[in-house]
Amino acid sequence: MVLAFLRSTIKAAKDNGWKAALEEVKKQGLVTSLLDGNLLATKLWTDDGARLVGVDKLGNKYFEKKVNSQFGRHRWVEYADKKQYNASAVPPEWHGWLHYITDHTPEQLEDLKPARYGIEHKLNRSGEGDAYIYHSKGHALNPKQRNWTRYEPWQPT
Amino acid sequence: MVRGSKCYKVLQARGNANFRCLISPGCKAATEAPAEGTILRRNAAPISDSGYCRSFNYAAFSSTKCSQPESCTRIPLNLMRALANRSIDVSSLGASSSVQRTPVCSGSTGLIGSGGGLQSVRHLQTLAVTPTGPKIIKADTEETIEVSVDGHSLQIPKGMTVLQACEVAGKEIPRFCYHSRLSIAGNCRMCLVEVEKTPKPVASCAMPALPGMKIKTDTPLVKKAREGVMEFLLLNHPLDCPICDQGGECDLQDQSMVFGSDRGRFTDTKRSVVDKNLGPLVKTVMTRCIHCTRCVRFASEIAGVPDLGVLGRGGSEEIGTYVENLMTSELSGNVIDICPVGALTSKPFAFTARSWELKSTESIDVSDALGSNIRIDSRGPEVMRIIPRLNEEVNEEWISDKTRFSYDGLKRQRLNEPMIRRPGGYLEPVTWRAALSAVAQAVHQVKPEEMAGVVGKLADAESIIALKDFLNKLGCENTWCEGIGANIDADVRSKYLLNTTIAGVENADVFLLIGTQVRKEAPLLNARIRKAVRNNRAKVATIGPPIDLTYDHEDLGDGTDALIQIAEGKHPFSTLLSKAQHPVVIVGAGVFERSDKDAVMAVVETIVDQAKVVRDDWNGFNVLLLEAAHAAALDLGFVPGVTAKLLSKDHLKFLYLLGADDIKPDDIPKDAFVVYQGHHGDRSAYRANVILPGAAFTEKEGTYESTEGRTQQTSPAVPSVGDARDDWKIIRALSEVVGVQLPYDSVSAVRARFLAVSPNLFRVDELEPPTVWPQSITPRSSSSKIESSPFIKAIDNFYMTNSICRASRTMAQCTSAFANLKQI
Repeated sequence: MVLAFLRSTIKAAKDNGWKAALEEVKKQGLVTSLLDGNLLATKLWTDDGARLVGVDKLGNKYFEKKVNSQFGRHRWVEYADKKQYNASAVPPEWHGWLHYITDHTPEQLEDLKPARYGIEHKLNRSGEGDAYIYHSKGHALNPKQRNWTRYEPWQPT
Repeated sequence: MVRGSKCYKVLQARGNANFRCLISPGCKAATEAPAEGTILRRNAAPISDSGYCRSFNYAAFSSTKCSQPESCTRIPLNLMRALANRSIDVSSLGASSSVQRTPVCSGSTGLIGSGGGLQSVRHLQTLAVTPTGPKIIKADTEETIEVSVDGHSLQIPKGMTVLQACEVAGKEIPRFCYHSRLSIAGNCRMCLVEVEKTPKPVASCAMPALPGMKIKTDTPLVKKAREGVMEFLLLNHPLDCPICDQGGECDLQDQSMVFGSDRGRFTDTKRSVVDKNLGPLVKTVMTRCIHCTRCVRFASEIAGVPDLGVLGRGGSEEIGTYVENLMTSELSGNVIDICPVGALTSKPFAFTARSWELKSTESIDVSDALGSNIRIDSRGPEVMRIIPRLNEEVNEEWISDKTRFSYDGLKRQRLNEPMIRRPGGYLEPVTWRAALSAVAQAVHQVKPEEMAGVVGKLADAESIIALKDFLNKLGCENTWCEGIGANIDADVRSKYLLNTTIAGVENADVFLLIGTQVRKEAPLLNARIRKAVRNNRAKVATIGPPIDLTYDHEDLGDGTDALIQIAEGKHPFSTLLSKAQHPVVIVGAGVFERSDKDAVMAVVETIVDQAKVVRDDWNGFNVLLLEAAHAAALDLGFVPGVTAKLLSKDHLKFLYLLGADDIKPDDIPKDAFVVYQGHHGDRSAYRANVILPGAAFTEKEGTYESTEGRTQQTSPAVPSVGDARDDWKIIRALSEVVGVQLPYDSVSAVRARFLAVSPNLFRVDELEPPTVWPQSITPRSSSSKIESSPFIKAIDNFYMTNSICRASRTMAQCTSAFANLKQI
C-alpha cells in the first residue's frame, strides 16, 4: 500500500530533515505518479508484502508478492523512467522472469546466456526520432544493398 | 533432307520472272522461263538483285540465251528438276543428260559481294545421297512376332524386350536402370511385369519378348511387386528431397509417388556412403545412389572412359572411381542427366535454383560446330543451367561438358556499353551515336583495300551476312572467318561440310581422320565414331597429333608422309580403305591453317577418288569444321574475295572484328583502327579503338549452321546485358551512319537475304546435304607443295576455346583440374 511509501518519506524527514524528504518524494516520483494512473497503481500495489527481487541496469525495479496476491499478477516492474516508459524498457534477461517464463533471476540467467550472438538490449524508440527505418534490398541507404546486376561488366584496364 | 520439291514449285510459279545470270556481269538474261539453268558460284548475289536461288549449290539460273555462255557452266534443267524432285531416279538420268563442261569465269566478277570464284574446270557428278536415319524395321511377318500386352495382341519386331513391347503397346513401365542407349543391366527390378505361365514376376527390361507371350502390367501381383521393390529402394535412400538438387525432376520421387506404397516398414538406421570426387563438374551424394549403374555403363560404353565402377556387394555396394580419380571425359556431364536420383548432380548448379522456378528455352549450342540441341534454363536475367535436348540426328541426348557448363562465362567479362579509346589510351563509355559516328569517321578515312572484316567463332549468320554486305558495299573484299584458314575453298558445299552427317557416321566401317582431334574438336562426333567402332567393328586410323580417342585406333604418324603413302597406294591402310563398304575420311581443323592446305587437300581428294569414298549412295568425304560460325560463313561466302590481299596484314588501316578474338594484337598494324563487336571483353577488346557490345547466343535469335549443313536457330532465353544490341542490328545501324544503308530493317528481311545468297540458311531445322561432288579437281594454287611438317593441334585445351569459355570459372576449374592428366 501507499503506507510504505509514506513511511519511507516520514523516516527520511525524521532522519535528515524536510529537504531530504522532498528529495525522497522526487526520487520516488510521487508527483508524476499522482498524475499518471499507471504509475500510481503500481505505487499503491507496492506495499509491505512486496519483495524487491532486483534492479536492472536501467534502474527498473522488479517486485514479487506471493502472499495476498492473485497468482499471475504477483510480479511487476516499477519503471525507473517515470516520463517515457514502455514495455521495451525491460531487458530480455528480466523479461522472462517478469512474464513467468522462468523463475531464474537474471543473475542465474547470465550463466545461461549464449555468448556468441547476444547483443546489448536497446529500448524501442519508435516515434521518437530514433526509429528503425527499413530500406529495401535495393535501396541505396541500405548498408547491405543488393546488386541486382547479374553479370560482371568488363573493366578495361 | 533435300527439299527440292519446294524449289520446283517456286520455279514453276516464277515462270516468267526475270532470271539474271549472276556470274557474268555483262549477261543480259532473258525474261523467259529458263530452259536451262546456269550453275553459278553461290554467294554471288548482290544486294539489289533478287536472284533466284537453288537449294543446291547454285545461286541462280540464267535463261537459255546467256550472252556469255563460255563463262557459265550449264546443267540441263531436267537434271536439276530431277535433283529437285527426289521421286525421279537420278541415276537413270545421268546417262541421258550429259553435263556440259564449260569454263567458269574466274577473276573479279564486278559484282559487289562476290566470294572466291571457281577457278578450276570441273564437271559435276550428281549424287543421290540417301538420308541417314534410324533404321525402320519393316512390318514383315518373318521379322515380327505376336505378343499380347494386357489382353491386346500386337506385332513387334523380333529381338525386342518385354519392356519395349509394353512401350509399343503404350504401357509405361517404371524403370531405373534401363536406358535405351545403354546396355541392359536389369539390376533395379523396378520393371517387373507378370507373364503368364511364369512362376514369378519377370524383369521386363532384360527379358526378350517371345512369340505368344502374354504380358500383364496392371495386375495385383505387378502392383505388389513394384511396391515391394520401391520399398527396398527407399530403405537406404535419405529423406533429403527438400535439399536435393534433383528434387522436382527425380525419377525416384516421381515413381515412388505413382508406384510406391504410402508407408515403409523400415525402422533401422539408413546406411551412409562416402561421397566421391569426380572433378569440378559432377557433384556426388553417394548416399542417395540406388545402384542402377547407368553412370557406370555410360562412362564405359558411350564416353569410353572406364573410370567408374561398382565396388562391393549387397549393403556395402558402392559406385565410385576405383582409386581416387577424376572422371576424365568431355561428356562427363551427361551422367547428371541419366542419374535417376540425386546421387550425381551438377556442381556449378548446386543449390542455385529449383527446377520448377526455371524458364526453359529451346536453343542451339555454339561451343562447337555440331550445333547440339540444348535447353537453356533461366531465372530472370540469368542463365541457370544448360541441358541437352533430344535430337537423334545431332546430339542424341548428350552434350559436351563445354556446352553444359560454360554458361557461367555469360555472366562475366561482359561488354555492356559502347566504348571509344581516347588519345590517352583509355576506353571511355559513350553513347551508341558517338560510337557509331566514330566508326563512320574512321571508315571514311581509309580506302576499301585497307579495310578488313573478320568473323569470330560465335557469330550468327545474320550478323555475318550483314557484315559482308556492309563491307562489300564499301568496296572491301578483305573478309575472312577465323579458324578456317585463309585459303579455304568455299565454292562447293561438299568440300567443306560433314557430308556423311553426324548420324551417318554410325554406319561407317573404316575411318581415316586427318589432322583432327575429334575428341576435342567435336566430342559428340567422337562418341558416334566410337559407336561405329563398337557396333560395326569399324577400323580407325589417324594422321595427326596423337590422341586418346577412347577407342582402338591406328596412329599413322602426325605428318603428311602417311597421307602421301596412302594416296600412292603404298600404305597397308589404303587397301583397307578401298575395300571398305562405307569408308569415311574426316579432314579436321589441323589442316585448315596450313600453308600447304591446298596440296594436302589435293592428296586427300586423290585418296577419296582412289578409295571411292564418294559414291552414288555414300559420301564419305567430310570436313569437320571447328566452330559454330564456320559453316554459315562459308555458305555466305565470307571468304577473301578475289581482289583481297589477305596475307599481308600490314597495309590494313581499318579492321572490323565481329567477335574475332584469335587474331594476335601484334599482327594488327599499330595505326590500324580496330572495331570490336562482341559480347565479351576477351583478347581483342584490349586492342579495339571502338567497342560495340553485341548479344551472346543465349540472348538473341541467331541462325547457325552446323558442320553437317543443318540450319538451326537459337532463341533468346535472357535479355541482353546493359546497352548491348543484336549483332546484325549494330551493323545495320552502322551502315546507315556510314552512308551505305543496308536494305533490311527486320530480322525477317535479313533472312530473306539468305534466300538470295544461301537459301539453305532460310530453312531452319533442316539438314541440307550437298548434292554435288566436283571431280577432276585441279588445285586452286598448284604452286603450293606439300610439306612434311606435322599437323598442328587445333585445340590445345578443350575447355578454353572461345570467349565465353575463357570467361567461365567452371571451365577454368576444369582446366586446372585436368591439366595434369595425360589426356585432356
